Amino acid sequence: MSLSPASGIGRFYKHSAKIIRFVRLGCTNRPFYHIVVMERRKNQHQPVIEQVGSYDPLPNTSNERLVALNTERIRYWLGKGAHMSEPAAELLGIAGLLPVHPRTYMTAWRNRRAAAAATAGAATETTEKVATA
Amino acid sequence: MLILRQLRKLNGQQRLQLGVEQTRRSMADAAQKNASFQYDKDPQPLFTDAETQRLLQSMTQLQLEKVFRKRTVPDNSTETKFMTTAQLEKEFLQTIEKAKKLLQMPPVVQIKQDTEHIISKDPALKDFADTKYVFTDITFGLRNSERKIVVRDADGTLAYAPLETRKRMNQLYFPLEGRRSYTPRMFTHDDLLQRCLDEHKYEFVLDRLTVQYEPYEAEFHNFSAKVFAHLNESKEFDLLRSTRHFGPMAFFYAWHRCIDDLLYDMIRRDYLHNAVELISLSYKIHQVPVDYKPILSQLEALKPTPAQRALAELLSCLKKPAENAIEHEIQTAIGKTEQDFAADEISLKFIEQYIGSKHALKKVQLELAVQTLKEVNLEKLQLYQGLKKAHGVQAS
Repeated sequence: MSLSPASGIGRFYKHSAKIIRFVRLGCTNRPFYHIVVMERRKNQHQPVIEQVGSYDPLPNTSNERLVALNTERIRYWLGKGAHMSEPAAELLGIAGLLPVHPRTYMTAWRNRRAAAAATAGAATETTEKVATA
Repeated sequence: MLILRQLRKLNGQQRLQLGVEQTRRSMADAAQKNASFQYDKDPQPLFTDAETQRLLQSMTQLQLEKVFRKRTVPDNSTETKFMTTAQLEKEFLQTIEKAKKLLQMPPVVQIKQDTEHIISKDPALKDFADTKYVFTDITFGLRNSERKIVVRDADGTLAYAPLETRKRMNQLYFPLEGRRSYTPRMFTHDDLLQRCLDEHKYEFVLDRLTVQYEPYEAEFHNFSAKVFAHLNESKEFDLLRSTRHFGPMAFFYAWHRCIDDLLYDMIRRDYLHNAVELISLSYKIHQVPVDYKPILSQLEALKPTPAQRALAELLSCLKKPAENAIEHEIQTAIGKTEQDFAADEISLKFIEQYIGSKHALKKVQLELAVQTLKEVNLEKLQLYQGLKKAHGVQAS
């Protein structure tokens, strides 16, 4: 699949619904996303109106996930009334560009609960072991 | 037998201790040296000062064949053209401008300290992910320095990225030509750098340093200090003359009060006005109460700037033999004009004053150099006057 320029080659209607969303590129077992603006009704692999960033979900050697955002264009499209897909909205929330998405808080809370449960489980296991011994 | 063995053991221990002591001392020396080679206050205002820049540029000189020498680049091709004299003169001017651009010095600035700047702290976001996120603003038309790069830590803190991350991200999304995303082995392995220095590849090291690091980074300062210190010991200053690194080098020596070797080299090569400039620079940096400005202005009136000299050299091939051709020929044969002799006299006086002062460290060496130069100059002057008389040129 050939890459289209960041300014996009997608055709769109003036009043159609636009959306800021991810496009999954990369390959099997190696996801890589472009953050793009496109018509809402279209399939992700159809030509986009504009690419406004990229997101690499796999941590790099310094253990960080890299996101590039063209904030100027994102703000422009949001001002034009573009929608956002949920993962894109979460990412923009984490970036501090928008208020943090409620789902991020939910994930954080669930992760903390899972971690607490895991430590509690480990603690009870050790006490049981001590009791049997 | 037993006693002997015991004695040997004791001696061995002592030797070991001595060795340890020695290494510790040498390490302490090295550390002290390194510490003393840091700029203790911000050198930038002094370095970018117009007068300092003029002095440094004059010291750098402009040797066209060195500026436009063949380099290890893929394309060293030249173009041959027919031109009128007017076109050629215009081309010469452009060449000088180009050379000036190639000789622009990398700035000497203070090391930039990393400051933590937190944007928001959100404890409710703790553990939202297992790694941190780095967000880079790739808006079109921003400079690398003004691009916003932020980091969201796994504990929910949003902060501006530290300098190291900033550099990495800028290089990732907007790569600079020649800069590597990994550190070149030359700068990670001391022995490799040492080998480069021992082979006197100073310009190569400094060029690569300038590409790889920003002038405000600690590594830039450490490595350039190392190169300059090595250069001060090997005394191959001529390798850097007419390159962009000569100015910062002279500034470094002047700042750290070790100009004597460079001064000796300048005197030996008969660049006396450069020697005066170096001494003035050192006076200026350390605010020594010696009035050097009138002497500099006198010299400026007598000596053309490097750019003027280079342009004259280029234009000399166009000139037709004038009426004072013989005088010109005498001057080229001796390599000095009357103005040069006058300038030398002024500079020598100033240099001797410096050697006599408490600021000079290698007095004997410098005095000897000055003495030999004086003798050679005297011979030249006599020859010059004699030739002039013989050719019947009117003494002015």
